[in-house]
Amino acid sequence: MLVKYLLATIVAGLFAGILLTPAMYVRSVPLILHAEEYENAAGGHEHEHAAAPAAAGETAPAVAPHTHEEEEVSPALPFGRFGNTLLINLVAGAGFALITGAAALFLGRKITVQNGIYWGLAGFFIFNLAPSFSLAPELPAMPAADLATRQAWWLITVLLTAGGVYFIVLREEIWARVLGLVLIVAPHIYGAPEADDLTSAVPPTLASEFAVSTLATNLFFWVVLGTALGFAIQSYAASELEA
Amino acid sequence: MAARTSTTISLPLASRLTTAVVSMLLGVFIVYGVGLSHSETLHDTAHDTRHSYGFPCH
Repeated sequence: MLVKYLLATIVAGLFAGILLTPAMYVRSVPLILHAEEYENAAGGHEHEHAAAPAAAGETAPAVAPHTHEEEEVSPALPFGRFGNTLLINLVAGAGFALITGAAALFLGRKITVQNGIYWGLAGFFIFNLAPSFSLAPELPAMPAADLATRQAWWLITVLLTAGGVYFIVLREEIWARVLGLVLIVAPHIYGAPEADDLTSAVPPTLASEFAVSTLATNLFFWVVLGTALGFAIQSYAASELEA
Repeated sequence: MAARTSTTISLPLASRLTTAVVSMLLGVFIVYGVGLSHSETLHDTAHDTRHSYGFPCH
């Protein structure tokens, strides 16, 4: 087991996760909060509290559907909204770092300070840009198709895109390039699940601002993660990778 | 870091396979928990990150 390699990837992931948090708070989180005002005003959202809003905060119903702002009812971890987001970003950063580090190990490629940004860009393309092309980042209260269906589409798209990036970037053959392109395009031709009714309480301006701001934020995250991975692996785990 | 470093790993696949598998499983498990799990605690805790990351949420 290459313990130093694992530790280096985790440290890089935690670092990127820390930096992701303030980046999210520049644009994306304020837009989420803004959208939630419409979510609560509309009252038609599936996450809306079953009981009357006036009852909120007094006694929690036995089965409490969660809402986003009633901390008493929500089963979220008790570190507050910012604390929870920071915690999740740290964990998520480590998770994406482990996946990226594992992919490099499988492929026999070394992530370095010089090429780290390309690993980051590949991760951004696979996990963010490609799925967003057909399934744009959603604000709370936006109309959407069945959750499980969208998650399945998201997951399949990520897997196909990862395969596509491999065939296009790391293989020389013409057939591989063509296959890679087909893999990347296929889920978008098939199409992401769409809501039947697209009427939304959230103003379209908010939604478009949110889509752009999250993509920019995630691009930042992945560039930091790729570079940090290169730095951490090179400076701490390089000796482990020599035969 | 001044010298140009090789971008291929000289260690044979057999020696890195265990780490690669463990790292991948751990990473997938974490990302599933953060982004896709239907657990209410996880959903509510990860809510803003899920939206911002573009995971399907709600």
